[in-house]
Amino acid sequence: MTVRPPTLREKRRYLLVRIEPCGILVEGKTLYYAIHEAAVSLWGDVTVAVMQPAVIALEEGYAILRCRRGTERECAIALSTVTACRDHQIALRIIAASGTIDSLRDRIRALGAYTPQSREQEPGKNEECSFDTRTYEIIHRSSQSLDLIEKGFKNTHRLFLTTEDLEEK
Amino acid sequence: MQITDACVYPCPNGSASVRRMALEARALGFDSIVAHETPACMIGDVTVLCGVRITAPAAKDVNTQVKREKGPGRVVSVPARDSGFNRVVCGMPGVHILRDIYVADKYAFDHVTGKIAADNGTAIDLDLSPLITMRGHARQKAIHRYLDILNLHHHFEFPITISSSARSVLGMRTVRDLAGLCSILGMDEEDVRQALLGVAQVTAPKPTAVMVIS
Repeated sequence: MTVRPPTLREKRRYLLVRIEPCGILVEGKTLYYAIHEAAVSLWGDVTVAVMQPAVIALEEGYAILRCRRGTERECAIALSTVTACRDHQIALRIIAASGTIDSLRDRIRALGAYTPQSREQEPGKNEECSFDTRTYEIIHRSSQSLDLIEKGFKNTHRLFLTTEDLEEK
Repeated sequence: MQITDACVYPCPNGSASVRRMALEARALGFDSIVAHETPACMIGDVTVLCGVRITAPAAKDVNTQVKREKGPGRVVSVPARDSGFNRVVCGMPGVHILRDIYVADKYAFDHVTGKIAADNGTAIDLDLSPLITMRGHARQKAIHRYLDILNLHHHFEFPITISSSARSVLGMRTVRDLAGLCSILGMDEEDVRQALLGVAQVTAPKPTAVMVIS
């Protein structure tokens, strides 16, 4: 297949989105299907065909998405209706839009990785806590926020708290 | 300016604490949130208003409960039902918001109710969770209801509020996302701005009808 000269290529825009909650394991393909389903459901086949949404990369808790130039607004609205990826509840927070992937990668470097802090990085931190008479495992900890999952194999729903909530209890 | 998410459900109705929701709301661009069954407070620089939802079956019971629940920092809302109920509730002093209009009957909110809501300063809530979470016919129905409400809003100018009805931080959306979703309903930026200020508008003390000049 011959490569088209730059002037004849379709103009694309790239969106940088943060995948919430932190540390969720998402595959590119499943994320693409989730976005595609949300976009088709909202805008219909014709608009999505014009929009051409695609997942380019998943890096450090962020996703780089592609769409056609001029359809960023529709793409952003469709992204706000993505609520789940397979069985996991997720939310996509749009950080930036750009004409190049490189500039979005620079942005990721500036923001820092959005991945859970591992136990090795924080020795001495208590990774378990109790809340409402139950024991939880701390999945993610940022400045004030805590993401917890109840210990055991039955309940895998996250609880979103702050450090003050734990201190109060 | 108090850009407000008109309804969120923190623990125990949801999976996030009110503090976490307030932190998230600040990050998403809100100044205040109406948290269901949570005491009014300030968390950081986010104002948390106490959301009171009255689900009494009859309008008379609603009136009794509204009198009991009235107070500063409290936002009283009533879920919409049939046309007669909505008319009475919209004209009831102390009711700030009529919500869940997308669940109600097609003719539950008509031009008479719109006029009453405008006269009484009762806001109609546009809950964007059906647009976010629902698909197909259910979402189309919600969009249709909201288009009808906005048509009446442009005519009678009753207040509008916007809520995410989030039960966790994952259900909350940025102000820009909400504006984008509202653009589907034909709302421009100014409409969205006014709607986000709707809670501040309906909870502000109303000027007295009669001014006594000594």
